[in-house]
Amino acid sequence: MSPSSEPRVERHATLPTDVALHARPAGTLVRAASAFAAEVFVSANGRRANAKSILDILALGAEGGVELLIDASGDDAAEAAEHLALLVPALV
Amino acid sequence: MAGMDSNGNGAVTLVLVSHSAELAAGLAEMARQIAGPTVPIVTVGGAVDGSLGTDGGRVLDAMKAGATGAGAVVLVDLGSSVLSVRAALTEMTPEELANLSVADAPLVEGAVAAAVAASTGCTHVEAARVAEEARSVAKL
Repeated sequence: MSPSSEPRVERHATLPTDVALHARPAGTLVRAASAFAAEVFVSANGRRANAKSILDILALGAEGGVELLIDASGDDAAEAAEHLALLVPALV
Repeated sequence: MAGMDSNGNGAVTLVLVSHSAELAAGLAEMARQIAGPTVPIVTVGGAVDGSLGTDGGRVLDAMKAGATGAGAVVLVDLGSSVLSVRAALTEMTPEELANLSVADAPLVEGAVAAAVAASTGCTHVEAARVAEEARSVAKL
């Protein structure tokens, strides 16, 4: 199977109630997403942000306790989505 | 300072050039909080006497210091700061110039974006490109 035929992978993950996706947690998420080749997006509040762009992620304005939809496509999409789904609830 | 080891490992240095030392320092604090402590950030702000303005000598020193190791991306506010950066470029060696990218980007967004990119271990060219993408990211 070629990389381009890799299906889109989706995962849901909820931010800790006291951790908004601002500043340090946002940077942590972007660094983690940047380690994968896959295209990764995070959706919340009706917006979809490129998980590798800090400015995009900050613009989401996701507050603590919000459920995020992570979607990834490309070569290592499954690993990327899984990794971020585990990371998000553990952000500090 | 641009405390990079000389073998090119480590993160790209951010050089922030502003009319105001406080503006540059505050932006460095913000970029550090978002990007983490691994990215060296050098700030140059204010005139020789500490008032608002630019000090070409210190701008040149900061850019030369940054252009070692993994290299540097330079972000600048406006006006005479830009002129100081351009003047400094004419004083640098070809080796230093090859180790430095000046980002044509908004200062705050560009610095935050470049700092996070640098924290992932990218090159100074890539960090500058990410900073320049900030020009087209909508705030609202």
